[in-house]
Amino acid sequence: MRLQLLLVLAATVAQALPDARLKPSRDEHAANDTITSIPGIRVGHYTLSERPTGCTVLLVDGGAVAGIAQRGAAPGTRETDLLRPANDSRRVDGIVLSGGSAFGLDSASGAVRWLDERGTGSKTATGRVPIVPAAVLIDLWVGGKPQVRPGADCGYRAAASATRRPVAQGSVGAGAGATVGKLLGRDHAMKGGLGSASAVLRNGLRVAAIVAVNPLGDVIDPHRGAVIAGARTNDGSLADARRLLRSGAATVLSSAAAENTTIAVVATNARLTASEATRVAEMADAGYPRAIAPVHTIADGDTVFTLATGGWGGAADVTTIGALAADLVADAIVRAIRAATSAAGVPAARDLPQ
Amino acid sequence: MKRTAFSLACIAAGTAALTAQSPPRATSGLTAVEGLKVGHHTLAERPTGCTVILVDGDAVGSVSQRGGAPGTRETDLLNPLNMVDKVNAIVLAGGSAFGLEAATGTVRWLEEHDIGWPAGAAKVPIVPAAILFDLGVGGNAKVRPTAECGYKAAAAASAGPIQEGSVGAGAGATVGKLGGANRSTKSGLGTASISLPTGLVVAAIVAVNAVGDIIDPSSGKVVAGVRNPDGTFADARKILRSGATLQRPRAGENTTIGLVATNAKMTKALVARMALMADDGYARAISPSHTTGDGDTIFSLATGRWDGNADITTIGALAAEAMADAVVRAATQATGAAGIPAARDLKR
Repeated sequence: MRLQLLLVLAATVAQALPDARLKPSRDEHAANDTITSIPGIRVGHYTLSERPTGCTVLLVDGGAVAGIAQRGAAPGTRETDLLRPANDSRRVDGIVLSGGSAFGLDSASGAVRWLDERGTGSKTATGRVPIVPAAVLIDLWVGGKPQVRPGADCGYRAAASATRRPVAQGSVGAGAGATVGKLLGRDHAMKGGLGSASAVLRNGLRVAAIVAVNPLGDVIDPHRGAVIAGARTNDGSLADARRLLRSGAATVLSSAAAENTTIAVVATNARLTASEATRVAEMADAGYPRAIAPVHTIADGDTVFTLATGGWGGAADVTTIGALAADLVADAIVRAIRAATSAAGVPAARDLPQ
Repeated sequence: MKRTAFSLACIAAGTAALTAQSPPRATSGLTAVEGLKVGHHTLAERPTGCTVILVDGDAVGSVSQRGGAPGTRETDLLNPLNMVDKVNAIVLAGGSAFGLEAATGTVRWLEEHDIGWPAGAAKVPIVPAAILFDLGVGGNAKVRPTAECGYKAAAAASAGPIQEGSVGAGAGATVGKLGGANRSTKSGLGTASISLPTGLVVAAIVAVNAVGDIIDPSSGKVVAGVRNPDGTFADARKILRSGATLQRPRAGENTTIGLVATNAKMTKALVARMALMADDGYARAISPSHTTGDGDTIFSLATGRWDGNADITTIGALAAEAMADAVVRAATQATGAAGIPAARDLKR
């Protein structure tokens, strides 16, 4: 009887062993389901105190293969030509997402300086050059004082504060001044923000996303098809941009609406070529239309970067990675809205009557 | 200020009314855009065929090509940087790259009717085309839409209601192939249109042959896709998240091809943006979309017959909405073929 019990116990332990080996990553994922769960990726925010704006810096230990999908009509970007597969395929050292419109591109200079001080960068004959693509969103109207913008100092501080801890979400960093639902004008907008989400498959493949959500359009929960933040009617309820557009009620848009743009990074631990990283960015972009309507408008500079660290040696196809990336971009957008807090008089989703 | 308050009150009232009744829905599809005619030709030997969209008069055209495995003709010409900005017809066809030949037949039909770009010595019909891959459906892969198909479809084109489902370019279309071809669901061709009180019309037509599942974006539910043995849908999004081994999408089995059109007056660059935004309809109604095994392509046409003012955001957003509607219709209007059941054949 005791022997039998022992045998059963031994069998149970033996069965549990493979699971036990898997467990650390599962636990770790439960503790961090943001983009910093990808080994080698660190994220730092810096949020300005004078006005709701800021920047978010992603650093990649050892660099990563990168790609881009730039599909919005009003982009503000830096070092994106370098990411085209036909061009010199250097690994990128970091990516900067920033508020402040084109002025905010300056924050990448600070991240470059911080990396340079640490001898990090792409090797050249005359030293290392940090490769730091960047994209900005337009938040100058939020909180007055449009001359307050993230500068090089913002990028430097965000880089210095970058950690592997779970990413802080909501009205922070590049999402500090983000807003959504501007189809009826600024006065009817709601607060956007920054969100992140990640997935880990049993085979060890990891895919994650981080997004600063600042579209002209409304944000939709794609699991239900319902608006969770967007243009509000006079009584404060959600108007649903899709209905406004279909009914013709929003045919002529407020010119003040040209203050938008959603910017994201998707990351994976898979090993990808530059072409594959570009395809993953293209597929990840599908997360935008699933969670934002309308999107890719003439007044949105929507951009998605891909980072592939190559830290995982398994075989994963681009379809799986790209499809997960699209799902996670949509999830991260929804999280940005759920975590956002009101700022400068712009209410957040959590302030809506339930 | 008063005007703003008034218009917002109107919008609020309109919105309240709209919650009671559903928003204006497409009724007549692509031919709701005045000046466009649509003709199908479906082959008898195997489920495949072609669909021709004829432009009566002028239309500015462009394209968005985002899938990883395209089969196209005359798409470089549609780049806004290039000269020709008028399109005479667009051909959508089954039959993989072989099916591009269907455009030759449409060109012949147009030349016989003296329609084309005036190029000195001759009028040259401008006929961009895109194909989808259906060679594995229904046996003999040697049966493909040829020039004859494109000629007959052009000759059959009319401005009347458009037949949807397993017809024309959608005759051999299937969806939900992440679990392999034998778990796929029959799809087809769909069309939808949106007409605003101002007179603006935006419409879409699409042959849906995706790797991914078809989702109704208004509910987030799968309407056609990878089938379970009991006839329910497995949901490709769940399969992908579970890490289950996939049937990798292969070029040669997929691709969704469509067209959006409006009666608005637009430059070629804005017509290109309309195609780009219409592509959001694919992302909303197909999951996953734009894979390496999909040659997803959308053409766009602006006839300019309506003189009103509409901004590109409205037109592009409506094009995405109409395209998503048309994708869902393609899946729900399809009938089973070659042993592949359609959504309407499955118990729900």
